[in-house]
Amino acid sequence: MTVIDELHAMRDEALAAIEQAGDLAALDDVRVKFLGKKGSLTQILRGLGALPADERPAVGKVSNEVRAALEAAIDARNSELSAVALDARIAAEAVDVTLPGRAHPVGTRHLIERITAEISEIFIGLGYRIAEGPEVELDYYNFTALNTPPDHPARSLADTFYVKDLSGDVAAVTGESDVLLRTHTSPVQVRTMEREQPPIYVLAPGKVYRRDIPDPSHLPQFTQVEGLVVDEGITFGDLKGTLEHFVCEMFGADRRTRFRPHFFPFTEPSAEVDVSCGICGGVGCRFCKGTGWLEILGCGMVDPNVFGFVGIDTERYTGFAFGMGVERIAALKYNIPDLRMLLEGDMRFLRQF
Amino acid sequence: MLVSLKWLNEFIDVDLPTEELVDRLDLTGTAVESVKKLGEAMEGIVVGQIVEKNRHPDADKLWVTVVDVGFDEFRSIVCGAQNFEAGDKVPVALPGATLPGGITIKKTKLRGVTSEGMNCSAAELGLAGDSSGLLILPEDAPVGMPFAEYHGSADTVLELEITPNRPDCLSMLGVAREIGAILDRPYRTPGAVPSETGAPAADEVRVAIDDPDLCPRYTARLIRGVKVGPSPEWLVERITASGARPVNNVVDITNYVLFELGQPLHAFDAATLGRDGDGKIAISVRRASAGEKLTTLDGVERALTESDLVIADPKGAVALAGVMGGADTEVSDETVDVLLESAAFASASTSRTSRSLGLISEASMRFERGVDRTGNVTASDEAAALIAQIAGGEVAPGVVDAYPVPYESVTRELRMARLNAVLGTTISPEEATAILKRLGAEVEGGPHLLSVTPPSFRPDLEREIDLVEEVVRVWGMERVPSTLPAGRGRIGGLTPEQRWRERAGESLRACGLNETMTYAFVDPADHERIGHALEEGEVLVELLNPMSAEQAVMRRSLLPGLLRSVSFNQRRGVENVHLYEIGSVFQTTDGRKQPKEHTRITGVLAGAWHPAAWNAPAVPLDIFDGKGVLENLARELGVERLGVREAARPWLQPGRSAEVVIGKNVIGWLGEVYAPVLETFDAQGPVTAFELDMAALAREARGVRELTDVPRHPAVELDVAIVVDEDVTALRIEQSMRSAGGKLLDNVRLFDVYRGKGVPEGRKSMAYALSYRAPDRTLTAEEVEGVHAKLVRKVTSAVGGELRG
Ligand SMILES: [Zn+2]
Repeated sequence: MTVIDELHAMRDEALAAIEQAGDLAALDDVRVKFLGKKGSLTQILRGLGALPADERPAVGKVSNEVRAALEAAIDARNSELSAVALDARIAAEAVDVTLPGRAHPVGTRHLIERITAEISEIFIGLGYRIAEGPEVELDYYNFTALNTPPDHPARSLADTFYVKDLSGDVAAVTGESDVLLRTHTSPVQVRTMEREQPPIYVLAPGKVYRRDIPDPSHLPQFTQVEGLVVDEGITFGDLKGTLEHFVCEMFGADRRTRFRPHFFPFTEPSAEVDVSCGICGGVGCRFCKGTGWLEILGCGMVDPNVFGFVGIDTERYTGFAFGMGVERIAALKYNIPDLRMLLEGDMRFLRQF
Repeated sequence: MLVSLKWLNEFIDVDLPTEELVDRLDLTGTAVESVKKLGEAMEGIVVGQIVEKNRHPDADKLWVTVVDVGFDEFRSIVCGAQNFEAGDKVPVALPGATLPGGITIKKTKLRGVTSEGMNCSAAELGLAGDSSGLLILPEDAPVGMPFAEYHGSADTVLELEITPNRPDCLSMLGVAREIGAILDRPYRTPGAVPSETGAPAADEVRVAIDDPDLCPRYTARLIRGVKVGPSPEWLVERITASGARPVNNVVDITNYVLFELGQPLHAFDAATLGRDGDGKIAISVRRASAGEKLTTLDGVERALTESDLVIADPKGAVALAGVMGGADTEVSDETVDVLLESAAFASASTSRTSRSLGLISEASMRFERGVDRTGNVTASDEAAALIAQIAGGEVAPGVVDAYPVPYESVTRELRMARLNAVLGTTISPEEATAILKRLGAEVEGGPHLLSVTPPSFRPDLEREIDLVEEVVRVWGMERVPSTLPAGRGRIGGLTPEQRWRERAGESLRACGLNETMTYAFVDPADHERIGHALEEGEVLVELLNPMSAEQAVMRRSLLPGLLRSVSFNQRRGVENVHLYEIGSVFQTTDGRKQPKEHTRITGVLAGAWHPAAWNAPAVPLDIFDGKGVLENLARELGVERLGVREAARPWLQPGRSAEVVIGKNVIGWLGEVYAPVLETFDAQGPVTAFELDMAALAREARGVRELTDVPRHPAVELDVAIVVDEDVTALRIEQSMRSAGGKLLDNVRLFDVYRGKGVPEGRKSMAYALSYRAPDRTLTAEEVEGVHAKLVRKVTSAVGGELRG
């Protein structure tokens, strides 16, 4: 058998083995066996030195052809086997994508805070700042400076929470204390006007307290958002435009607004504002008690007496103020069956928002 | 205020549909709270005729009647009344009808006999009269006619909300006047004048007002020889429709005039009033003397004070002025002569008295808001004429009229330019004048300046702005063009603290905590429950009039409220609770007027972050979950120096209790709530909690961060486990590593804490991955090994540890 014959025999054997290799490892074994440093090809070529010199080029040529053929076959087989291996791995790693994910639960915002923030954003967009004040207030800021007469029913012990006055002062209002839990966020108006000169554009959200026994539609502690604008040339039309903008942002552009004249001690003219019922579209239904309207806030032009308390020139400046109950808006927007849920901390309630 | 439209129509022709009237009232400041159609309540009730009256076979007291209701066949109706005969006409309620009392009539069987309706008594129909028998109708009553139509009881009653500035609307006349103004149509003023006979009232009655400030006018009329008895049906109907209960004809008439004209009246039994030396009834209006007593109409003996105004005779107080009459002088069946009071009392004194005695009546409410004293005599005349007409009696000539402070009208100026500047309108002087005139004011001048004299019944129109309001109210707020303020120089936004508070909330929510809200007033015992010690001189902020003893003080910490919420959830089977609240706490000391308020940010964690899932086990939450939340919070707010160090708090479990510090400044606490504390809140542990002071956090928060280069050269990581005594803290080991490792020690990561086999009792093995890195070059193995060996040597000796093999 000539060396060339040997090479051809080896080639055929190797091609068969390549074809036989069932996986990449087996294929590698075949490569080592035939083409490795101690492989068959090397063994055969080791005997090359014994050949006559004129035969060597022919053998060399054949051996190169064999090596090239085997390498090509191995590459081809390698591609085939790689594809098979990848398919196998993919098949093994397939999952049921409908299985639940692995997420860290994210917390939720309290509904009232969420709505308060929404309202604040609308007014910040109109150039308002957020003003805050104490929850335990002085009678002066909560009532007197807001033009509330000394005998006004809201001042009674039945309506307002009074706080023990530890200063030893005698209360200006008979039988009560000059320290109380604020009944609205309006005292923030007065504090702001005492502190700052117009132009004033502020929004005062915060907790307020009234002596209402908790029931599905009342809480003794609730949240109010009060707005105050004092500037030159402020008109009742500005108040209307501002609140109409607010209603559209808050409830949707299709909702209508109406202003009903009303009375508040600290504004004049005063009005209550209704938004058209979102359930019936204003035709009248049970939700709006057949009127087609839902009352959402009170407002008016700042009463000159209030400006008098804080020393703002009523001829130069005019202003408007408005106030709304956040719980009421929440009840209207979400149809909350019982406001007491807002203060219980029930995870099943909180996590819905 | 209840307004019967039928009655109203006597004062003004209101022919527009009710819905339209309601709208007009709503949009001009008189809110309509409800609309009740009285006729509707009578639907299904018709005039019927009893054709036959037969004994019930099985019941002695029942009758079986056969009734003709004008349509369909005759009906069989079982009936228990005894006062009727066959042929009588009576109101019949058919099946489906609902009586005013709320009973719905059904076809039924009574003792085996079918009954297809009900023959009604007056009381069953909500009408005046007795309930012992059927209401027998006149013979000419047309059979089959709806009863409401026949009876004329179809009516609509509006419930109006009258704002405190509009006392003038607290009467039928006032509402008619208001509607006249808003609809621009005339109204009629009632004005009966009694015919007078006998000796003049002044011969027998004298009135003296001691305190004109509290009583600017007091008038008295004398009506002799009345016959006190029940009122006629129309009168009962009117006053019940307005919300009063019938008493007797004289008292009912005073109530009628109260509702009709808005003037509270009081009738005394003249015989019970004390007389002067000259034999005259001597009425004085004065302040009560301290300790003076009066038994009021409701039978309660009341101790009076000097701030109460009374009507007195020479013997003593006989009535609380404007609030309630006395029991001894009230009109009774025996009353023959009536002294009729029509007066004006100052609102402040009436309101004080009615509130301090807890007596709020239709009369006191009107005096409190203000009564037009120019109408005193008109009302007195109206009532006297009605008494003479209904209760008989003769009206003594003349009114005894003490009028120390006559009403004076005041003229106010209205600048048209100001009006339009405040409103943002272009209302013409003619329009404004017309509106003010419709409202009863006299208006002169123009076009720039109007001189306006409001009518006597509008004491609320004191200032220019009040007139502006009147004009826009009637002109129509809906017509005011909507604009936005044009002002410059305003910038919206949040203050830094407000912004940090928002960011803090966002961070806690990102960590999985849910925002909640709890009551700011709490149980005074809560602070004892958590063992919260008050500071030197500190007292709790106490409410004078709490709703309950459990809500009597303002909170000093948000923890008790949140523990209640944990318990609330657990008792409802919700085990995994993650809550936070940002809210105020209140702190005061003796001698301080207004407490200090601090905003706290407080969280509680119980259970696990989530229930066990197919790919994630439920890991019980502990103090380190709380700490992780705080670490994220500190990161988000850029508070680099936030730290936690061991410190006891009475409400935290010893050994799992820490204070939160920024540098040396304590800003809050963190830990697991002590089991005995949890028990008092009915909560199951472990509960991890923390509370931080928001202002302290906001002060340290940094919006700007310094950028350090991302590392360009690789780090070399080496592990080391050191066995140390239990009391050696992680903080101490890390500090020691940092100081030993110098600049090349880039990061220290504790990856295992091990106790048990191979580690002696009382010691623990702390395993760290240390990474070494130089910013400017790749470290060589020799360099790293040198530093590391030095670090291990220094650290083990510093913390008394040894290398774990
Ligand atoms: Zn509706």
